[in-house]
Amino acid sequence: MKYFFYQLKKYPLAIVGITVLLLWIVVAMFGPVLVNYTHTAMDSNHQMTAPGLYGHLLGTDNMGRDILARIVYGSRSILTVALMTSIFSTILGVLLGFVAGYFSGKVDAAFLRAMDILMAIPPLVLSMVVLGILGDSSIITLTLIVSIAFIPATARVSRGVLLTEKNQEYVSSARIRGESHLYIMFVEILPNTTGPIIVEATARFAYSIMMVASLGFLGVGLQPPTPDWGMMVIENKSIISQAPWAVLFPALAIASLVIAISIFSDFVSKVLIHER
Amino acid sequence: MNRTLSIIIRRLGSLLVTLAVMSLIIFMLVEIMPGDVAQMILGQSATDEAVHALREARGLNDPVLLRYARWVGGVVTGDLGESIYMQGVSINSILWRRVGHSMILALTAFLIFVPLSMIFGVLAGVKEKSKTDSIISFFGLATMALPEFVSGVFLISIFGVQLKWLPIVSVIPIGESLFSNLEILVMPALSVTFVMFGYISRMQRSSMIQVMHSDYVRAAILKGMPTRYVIFRHALKNALLPTITIIGMNMGWLFGGLVVVETLFGYPGMGSLLMTAIKTRDVPLIEACVLLITIIFSLSTMVTDILYSYLNPRVRLQGGQK
Amino acid sequence: MKRTALILLLLVAMVTTPLFAGGDKEAKSSEKVIRIAEQVPGLITPGVWDGQVFSMNSSMYEYLVEINVGTGQLDPVLATDWSTTDGKDWTFHLRKGVKFHDGSDFTSKDVQYSLERTQDPTIGHLKKQDFSVVQSIETPDDYTVIIHLKESRPTFVYQLTDYNMAMLSSEYDYAKYGESKPMGTGPFMMSQYIPKESIAMVKNPNYWDPALPKLDKILIYFVGDIDASVSMLEAGRVDVVTFVTPVIKNRLSKIEGISVISPYQEQRFVAMNVDMKPWDDNRVRLAFKYAMDPQIIAKSVTQMNLGEGAQYNETPIMNMLSEYKELPLRQRDIPKAKALLAEAGYPDGVSVALYYASDHPFGKELAQTLKELALPAGFDLELKGFTRDVYLSQYWLNVPTSITGWGGRIDPSMLLGLAFKGGGPWNESHLNDKRINDLIDKITEEIDVQTRMGYYHELQDIFYAEGALLNVQVPYLVAINDRVVDYRQPLTMIPQYKYTDIR
Repeated sequence: MKYFFYQLKKYPLAIVGITVLLLWIVVAMFGPVLVNYTHTAMDSNHQMTAPGLYGHLLGTDNMGRDILARIVYGSRSILTVALMTSIFSTILGVLLGFVAGYFSGKVDAAFLRAMDILMAIPPLVLSMVVLGILGDSSIITLTLIVSIAFIPATARVSRGVLLTEKNQEYVSSARIRGESHLYIMFVEILPNTTGPIIVEATARFAYSIMMVASLGFLGVGLQPPTPDWGMMVIENKSIISQAPWAVLFPALAIASLVIAISIFSDFVSKVLIHER
Repeated sequence: MNRTLSIIIRRLGSLLVTLAVMSLIIFMLVEIMPGDVAQMILGQSATDEAVHALREARGLNDPVLLRYARWVGGVVTGDLGESIYMQGVSINSILWRRVGHSMILALTAFLIFVPLSMIFGVLAGVKEKSKTDSIISFFGLATMALPEFVSGVFLISIFGVQLKWLPIVSVIPIGESLFSNLEILVMPALSVTFVMFGYISRMQRSSMIQVMHSDYVRAAILKGMPTRYVIFRHALKNALLPTITIIGMNMGWLFGGLVVVETLFGYPGMGSLLMTAIKTRDVPLIEACVLLITIIFSLSTMVTDILYSYLNPRVRLQGGQK
Repeated sequence: MKRTALILLLLVAMVTTPLFAGGDKEAKSSEKVIRIAEQVPGLITPGVWDGQVFSMNSSMYEYLVEINVGTGQLDPVLATDWSTTDGKDWTFHLRKGVKFHDGSDFTSKDVQYSLERTQDPTIGHLKKQDFSVVQSIETPDDYTVIIHLKESRPTFVYQLTDYNMAMLSSEYDYAKYGESKPMGTGPFMMSQYIPKESIAMVKNPNYWDPALPKLDKILIYFVGDIDASVSMLEAGRVDVVTFVTPVIKNRLSKIEGISVISPYQEQRFVAMNVDMKPWDDNRVRLAFKYAMDPQIIAKSVTQMNLGEGAQYNETPIMNMLSEYKELPLRQRDIPKAKALLAEAGYPDGVSVALYYASDHPFGKELAQTLKELALPAGFDLELKGFTRDVYLSQYWLNVPTSITGWGGRIDPSMLLGLAFKGGGPWNESHLNDKRINDLIDKITEEIDVQTRMGYYHELQDIFYAEGALLNVQVPYLVAINDRVVDYRQPLTMIPQYKYTDIR
């Protein structure tokens, strides 16, 4: 912990990043209590109101919906999806990568072949095709598909770190003790590889925010009334000259969250990987 | 050379397997999902009987494997078949034009962001912790965080709407070719560039820093060689190498970004075609688009790998895996 | 290394060569050219034409009759006159000297082919249901067609104004060429077509009316994004943009040289499925109606006041039609809605799913507005949005509540049998009320206009009291450059570019 704060002092930018990230988490958790509108409420007398007027701190869109409220509620869905995606893809990736790397030989070869296939198509295109064919973009489907699209990346990292640990002495001694494969993989090796895996997971977190926003733009992402930042930018782009705030603020929200997570991810990698 | 050749052949072989498996998966996926071409065509008037009759007429009642085999047979002989939705429209007649457009857009973006991000990355790395470094790093961080469609919307409102420098829509005038309208490439290419620039310049910066701190560079500087000379003669070569791999690894992101900007700017490329094909459950057209994207994507990754091994004699290609 | 580069270069060259093969350059200045930006079309073969894009087909194909935008009456096109005595047997006389673009003559055989084609199961013809009433077709000579119907349809001729009822050549293979080489008798002919991208059409030199068309060329760009299309209009690169949203209309109204017109309105039916809970109880339906505020709906969905561009009622008849009966607008009354809901056995409110097409104009907006308005009365609408094709093929007709787009019909009786009669193929609210069924039958068969009007009014009273429908009418907007003279587009949605000129 002390080390953590020491590092924090060394990288002042990390303080900014972590603060912004925490701020967004707080907003997602308690925000709805703090804003005086819901994300769907329509103030039909005040459409496209400028920020600050009639109690709309960040203005309203063409349907008279409060931009602030939509951003606040939107933070919930985007954080949920991004968090679930990074957790899912990390768990699945670790499972696959570890099993492949641990058993090597045919299992590993099969794994690599499967990853080749999955990797041969860009993640966004893969998600777009599958979601488009499914025609269903609930939070759960979206999370699942994006996680699967991310598996090659996480699985490869996991396999890589397992390979470096595999020949360590503690692994062979556990083998001699007669521990089960599962035990060795997940009780012995896993705790020693958390650094790179967590770094990968935080990177996935940032990627999935971008990805979900882009899928929303392509029309296969989250559907209303779930407020989605990416969708807000797109929905309001026709009024950008009359009501620039309706585009600007959600765009800033996306940018600030992704930047905060990137900084956080950098910091984590510095702390966790370089300490060893 | 022989070694490289055999590896290329092996990788091409594995690409073929990939293509076969993936196209089968797509066929199956469309098959098990509710809603097919017949229902798309009939729309509001889709009664069971009408759907069945139309399926029969379009050969959709044949077993899925038979249809797949038929399709593969065509592809092997260079015939991508007809769109099952737009009857009588051969896919060859609409796809290749779009493939060309997409490749030109990708190339334009590539030509913009690769030198830019490398130059600025190196600059930031050499002047580590200076003002230049902070500015470049922050700019990189900011562009990296904006999805293509967001930066695209901003580019449109600044350069298209306010300044009126560039066309807002990347539509090719009827009867003209892309080459007489190259200005329509600028904004879509820039939007893709933004994200890639952030990522690659950051990578370039850190690898440059690493090299600058390495013993041999420090020794050279201590020996009294001019810094400029050391950077150009020794450091640069080693610092640019890892970036090539990074670029190769991020081609996927570039291709995904293309789909987004093509849609945003109305650019007639493969991405927007794929989107319409998905909406109409047009399996042969979906397959053709995905096939082409996969081939181009895999080939470009392969090229960067080979390039890397040429430039760096210490690394030998390991059967496609790094 | 060099070899790799060479191979790469060759590859690039191979792929890019087709790009250099450009067509003819854009029109010379002396030619009258109109440029249009429209949505990307789905299918364009008449019969399965999905009606997303109108300018292209309406310029190449023609109909027996058309609507006169000035009078609202039928004008002769390929038919010069038509008559019926009892609404069962119809005689059409055809125009002489009409040629298809491929040079063949237009005759009664072609009319017969075009009508019989509707029943061909391999086509999936969208007018199959409407034309199943045709018993037989006689062609005594090349320019006379006699159509015998199974039962009386006094308004049958209006069916022929439907956009899918273009007259086709019996000798042309539409299954093979319908999507790539469209061909009809229309005022313009295809010259260069790139599916999903653009089409160039040129004046038909053999058009039967020597004074028409006034334009030399029509160029259409298919652009998916409406903002992109509008910016082309603002930059002067196109002259007409269809399917403009009200937000864009407001913006364009400040720009000189561009006008936004609304040739007609479309309908959005909010249908409550009476076979499903809670809509099986009329008190719940009434409660829902009392929770609505037509002015807020108009304002939120179209950014216009009620009556200016948007309309609202609770019957299947559009406010603008002569058959419409002026019924009082229900005032929003939340206590009353709550009381009705409690009476029906839902004192704590009720949750119900609302399905809609999220990519269809006004769909998303209307769904969200309904949810907001219904909430205080105790309705918790669960929104289920899907892309239009998924919505129509997988959910529509089998869900508790739905929002569906319906084009206007010059003769509303066409719609009644399909959507509101027990057993009708598109009966989304699952109504099967004997009084309604009987009235619809009477309307479709009655020859006397006044009596028919009486039936229409009776029908609307029933819908007002017990119906399962909200009819929200939204404007169809077209933005045009002021250089364009005489843009005509009647309720049939088919624009008539042959009359259009350009300054």
